[in-house]
Amino acid sequence: MTVSSLGEDRESEGGFGGNNTSEPIKGSATRSVVRFLKYGNWRRFMGVLPFIVYLGIFLLIPAISVVVDAFKGDNGNFTLSNFSIGFSGVYFESFKNSIQLSLFSAVISTVVGLLVALAIVASPGRTLRAVVTAGSGVFANTGGVPLAFSFVATLGNFGLVTELLTKIGYNPYNHGFSLYSVLGLTIVYEYFLIPLMVLIMIPPIDALRKEWVDAAASLGATRIQFWRYIGGPLLAPPLLAGFLVLFTDSFAAYATAAALTSGTIPIVPIQIGSLISGNVLVGHAHLGNALGAGMIGVVIIAAIMYGFVQRRASRWLR
Amino acid sequence: MASVIGVPAKSSGVGGSNVLRVGKVFRAVVLGAVGLFFIVPVISSARFSFTGSSAGFSFSAYSKLLSDPQFWSTLFLSVKIGVGTVTLSLAILIPTTVWVHWKAPKIRRVMEALSLLPLVIPSVVITLGVITSFGSLPNIIMGTPVILALEYVVLALPYTYRTLDSGVQALDIKTLVEAGQSLGAPFRKILWWVLLPNLKSGVLGVVVLAFAFCLGEFAVASLLSFTTFAVYLVQIGQTQASEAIAFSLIALLFTWIPLSIVTVVFSRRAGKKSRRGGGVLMSSQSVTELVELSE
Repeated sequence: MTVSSLGEDRESEGGFGGNNTSEPIKGSATRSVVRFLKYGNWRRFMGVLPFIVYLGIFLLIPAISVVVDAFKGDNGNFTLSNFSIGFSGVYFESFKNSIQLSLFSAVISTVVGLLVALAIVASPGRTLRAVVTAGSGVFANTGGVPLAFSFVATLGNFGLVTELLTKIGYNPYNHGFSLYSVLGLTIVYEYFLIPLMVLIMIPPIDALRKEWVDAAASLGATRIQFWRYIGGPLLAPPLLAGFLVLFTDSFAAYATAAALTSGTIPIVPIQIGSLISGNVLVGHAHLGNALGAGMIGVVIIAAIMYGFVQRRASRWLR
Repeated sequence: MASVIGVPAKSSGVGGSNVLRVGKVFRAVVLGAVGLFFIVPVISSARFSFTGSSAGFSFSAYSKLLSDPQFWSTLFLSVKIGVGTVTLSLAILIPTTVWVHWKAPKIRRVMEALSLLPLVIPSVVITLGVITSFGSLPNIIMGTPVILALEYVVLALPYTYRTLDSGVQALDIKTLVEAGQSLGAPFRKILWWVLLPNLKSGVLGVVVLAFAFCLGEFAVASLLSFTTFAVYLVQIGQTQASEAIAFSLIALLFTWIPLSIVTVVFSRRAGKKSRRGGGVLMSSQSVTELVELSE
């Protein structure tokens, strides 16, 4: 999952007409495999072998072993009981919480990020734009433990904002708010999700071609009409793709939640973490693997949707 | 691209204004509110670290922290892991990216996609997999932070690979390599004497990004029970809030400063090519995926 438009830009540098070479022609596949082996083309790929092997050992083997072991009982036999426990009771609640948390935080950051991107792209000065983009690049990379603690100082029981709100007579903690809840986490996650969305949305907004804007304007389109018929449909795919990236990001996030709640909030990564740290259910040593497999499943669904949306997105924005 | 939208369409008569133009009030409100959201936590942390929850200004949180031997030992451990990770990353990535651009440019996209795989699999799940699949390895790997460095190379890949890849992209690899070859130099020498000096900024990017990743990473380190810098920060946070907040303010600054440097360096380079404000954007994007920096 990535900010893809950067990649799209690069394709144009690849050379004129170079794109056509990757067009697969049915039937020639076997022939090309033979040619590949016969004429020593494979030697070309020897140089990347160390990289592939490394990735295989330290990423693929662990990932596959999680999924495989999820189907094993304590005695090593095949069983589905890990999944039946993993998707019921408190663990089912965790999946629900996790998905809810990711959906909420992704929706908010998508909306806010889009507004910020629109605001700076349309601004006349270049300085503002440069500052906001650079800032977004830095803030988007702020996550984890330090972020959690700086929010404790802000919205915690004795945080600055909590104090100020109490002074004006509204202590949020008396009204059901807690930083150490799903709502609190949602707010904290915005700190790195909004900047990410800004970075994702600037290139597509930039790419709205001048001709289209001019054509709309000269045909007398109002602002609403422009967004309804031109801007909206063009920006929808990248917006959706960005949403999926943010969703995955907050779904997988562990450090912030762990530091903020000392590992007590019931979301899936935290549950897996606590199973790893030794709170193993008797008779279900591989329960964590089932939860892990479930997480991989959710992420893969998001990734497939992303690929789908991305194909649409790249049609116009080259 | 950028300038197009910002400039109001003076030519158009009837409509009057560019449909894309945004009102000043809208802009001020949006940027003001969002800006506040990003600045307030920093201010709050600074205040909290100086006063604690009581009134009165003091540096005690900082002085306590700096005189804490465990602060230094965990920092040292994280630095060691960082050095290992950076070295290993460069050793694997420089030959790989150079090779891809030189011999097999067709698989560039595939390689890039592979380098993004670690983002798809949550780090908690990877940790679980590391325990189940390498649990039986000898203690010298699993029982020491070596395993962390080995895994961090993979987890930092989404940031490091692209950075180096775009550095190599900026060079005319084929010409450089062939010029070297025609002078009779072996590939190793070409790599060391010709390509590496030209890749300085890409290498710098990898060093900063991988190092920042190692300093901030919490999930894998804590679940494999190593007390690194970030793990120690959480331990402190359980008991001494103001120290932990001072600690995290320092940590934030230590991530932000190098990241800004990388952003500026890369935007200069990108700026040379495209001579546009987009340079900053490009480079921020190349570090964008660091979101999971410490997840």
